[in-house]
Amino acid sequence: MKSTLNQKLKSWPVWMLMGILAVALLAVGASRQSGPLTQEDRIDNITQRLACPTCDGESVYVSQAPASQNIRNEVARQVASGQRTDDEVVAFIGSSFGGQVLLVPRATGLDALIWVLPVAVLVCCAAGLALTFRRWKREQGGQASDADRALVAQLLELDTHNTDTL
Amino acid sequence: MLAIAGVSGSLGRAALLVGLVGAVFGMFASVMGTRQNDEKVLRLVPRFATLCVVATVSAFACMEYAMITRDFSLAYVQKVGSKSTPALYNFTAVWSALEGSILMWMLILAVCTVIIAWKYKSKLTDPLVAWAMATMFFVCTFFFILTLGPANPFGKGAAGVLDGPGPNPLLQNHILVLFHPPILYVGYVGMTIPFAFAIGALITGRLGEGWLLETRRWALFSWGFLTFGIILGGWWSYEVLGWSGVWAWDPVENASFIPWLTGTAYIHSVLVQERRGMLRVWNLSLLIATFSLTILGTFLTRSGVLNSVHAFSNSDIGPYLLTFFGVIVIVSVALIGWRGEKLRSPGTIDSPISREGAFLANNVLFGVFAFVVLLGTVFPLIVEALQNRQLIVGELFFDQLATPIGITLLVLMCIAPVLPWRKASGELLRHRLFWPAWAGIAALILSLAVGAVGLAPLLTFSLGGFATGAALRQLVLATRRQGLRGLVGRANGGMVVHIGVIIIAVALAASNSYTRSQELTLSAGETAQYGGHSFEFVRFVEEKDDRRTSVKAEILVDGDGIYAPAIQKFTNMGQNIGTPSVKSMFSKDIYLTLQPPVKVSSNQAKIKVFIKPLMMWLWIGGGLMGVGTLLAAFPGSRRKPTDPVSAPIAQETSA
Repeated sequence: MKSTLNQKLKSWPVWMLMGILAVALLAVGASRQSGPLTQEDRIDNITQRLACPTCDGESVYVSQAPASQNIRNEVARQVASGQRTDDEVVAFIGSSFGGQVLLVPRATGLDALIWVLPVAVLVCCAAGLALTFRRWKREQGGQASDADRALVAQLLELDTHNTDTL
Repeated sequence: MLAIAGVSGSLGRAALLVGLVGAVFGMFASVMGTRQNDEKVLRLVPRFATLCVVATVSAFACMEYAMITRDFSLAYVQKVGSKSTPALYNFTAVWSALEGSILMWMLILAVCTVIIAWKYKSKLTDPLVAWAMATMFFVCTFFFILTLGPANPFGKGAAGVLDGPGPNPLLQNHILVLFHPPILYVGYVGMTIPFAFAIGALITGRLGEGWLLETRRWALFSWGFLTFGIILGGWWSYEVLGWSGVWAWDPVENASFIPWLTGTAYIHSVLVQERRGMLRVWNLSLLIATFSLTILGTFLTRSGVLNSVHAFSNSDIGPYLLTFFGVIVIVSVALIGWRGEKLRSPGTIDSPISREGAFLANNVLFGVFAFVVLLGTVFPLIVEALQNRQLIVGELFFDQLATPIGITLLVLMCIAPVLPWRKASGELLRHRLFWPAWAGIAALILSLAVGAVGLAPLLTFSLGGFATGAALRQLVLATRRQGLRGLVGRANGGMVVHIGVIIIAVALAASNSYTRSQELTLSAGETAQYGGHSFEFVRFVEEKDDRRTSVKAEILVDGDGIYAPAIQKFTNMGQNIGTPSVKSMFSKDIYLTLQPPVKVSSNQAKIKVFIKPLMMWLWIGGGLMGVGTLLAAFPGSRRKPTDPVSAPIAQETSA
């Protein structure tokens, strides 16, 4: 009795139901609005996309250098005026302080490589793994010889209680 | 006084020379002994190792002595020593710049060498061990050369210097400077041991399965320290740097993270080798990659080709490290080409939907992750070389790529723990994953109920619940069968580590996605509300000693505790260092920083408040990872190699 209940519970339809529930919940969560961003939150978001011009590889958000403080103040002014979106503020700061303060590499020219290469490597690795599995599958075609069977039988006799996971 | 002072420099240098001689002789003794099968020569090997360690300990002691006695005749003491540095930070000043760091590396390396030499003393007649020892000595030799040449800590300084600036202010601001660097270095340098055994296996063309177990244990040991060191580094960053984050994808951080990733790949895929005897060459390659990436990372961050807030100094050590890296890679690739076929196993992996398949998918993901981090770290170099243009890769790049990789890893952590070896059926998965999957749904509902938004964090929370369910399932089955012993061993300890990782992933997702901040300008006695908490500015407190002045702003948070973010000015460096103050709770941290400029006379403070959910769970997860690693390092249940690995699942399959 218990086993049939268990079986029913864990059947495909129940799993489907679970999947639909998960997707629905995720959709709800992903589409609902987060609380309003304060100006300071916006400043944080924008300064994370800008590089400190005088320090080595830190963002304005992280850096405590005076040059970063200047950029921060400018960002704060822009945000306070409320006229530009985050992207526009980033572009504005980029044009007034020089392109070097923009942090994330652009997706054009040589810079695009940094986005393309990871995907390419992932595809290559996955393809390589898939090919290996195919090769392994082919190799499995080999027939067991009588000697192999005898060896297996002998080992099984030695270890009778071997109930492996499958 | 000066006479003694001069002595500590020359003594240290002499000690390093003796160490170099010991390493070179040790290397020759190992190679000659094993080639001529001469036990008498081999018996000398541990003694040379002892010589190396005595020499490095003496050199390190000389350096500490010079630092503590403020021996300004040494260039290094002039650089990082100061009469006004407090004793603790003066002690740690030894590793606050390049030369001393390399000396510490040397010290840990020599200790590793001597441990291996004495532990396997009776087994040195095994060529695999002898070649591993030779490799250890070879690496030692290289580092002795570094400490005698380009990273010489005992160089004479300019005459007449009577005081120095002391270490970088960031390195004399928090007690963690005593723990984070040495622990991280133990992990970093410890990777030399599995590497040495990998080289030994390649040279002898033989993989004793007993040595595999030893190698795995040493790799796990180093991995554990590396993990612990990285987490301590995050904590330090959080407590000291004042931008409320733990990880900035800074080149030095990346240099420690990349070997961690390949090391993590190894400690997973080695289980396939233990169980099935497969993937031998692949595992050796991962060990070699891990070690060579520690050298490459050191090159990138210490040679000045990449700048970083962490680097703390540049030098002409670069060409040495790059050459060493090149030698390791070329020799290893040649060895794999030469011996690889001999080590290759004839078996095959039956199905991608199996424990083996999951480990391979894990390896792909960790490999890609390591590649992404490495690419992001060196990309500025590539662009500069090709287009002579400066470029900085920001945290957002890493975050954007690490998020999908991390989520995919979580998916794997949901499924892999329940997968059997060889082959799994859909029905089996449906049964075993049922309750873990519901745990995921429960986590999703819970996070929606507390107001979580956004696809990536929600996926993290729900998959976190799922993966925790899968890990707990394994632990419950194991403890039900074996009692508390079920928590010990690589698979079950590994599950504890998984739960720690999941907690960290959830904490990171929550704190990265939902951190909110506000700047409050408060006059003395004024109270402001933000994020459901009240902040009352009480007063400024000024402190002054001969090395710094500090201004603290005392803030009464929620009426029941004073928190005092500060700004310190270090007189010698003229640098302002902000020190945050954090109120930690299980649900969130309140992180306060004092914003410059501070005018004490105005009695008005600009305070930045960050509300960061679940931060404390980062450290709890880290602690759990440590516990799990310890459990995994102990030999598991004393089962015969022929016994089944997984718990019996009779009720379930019959169900």
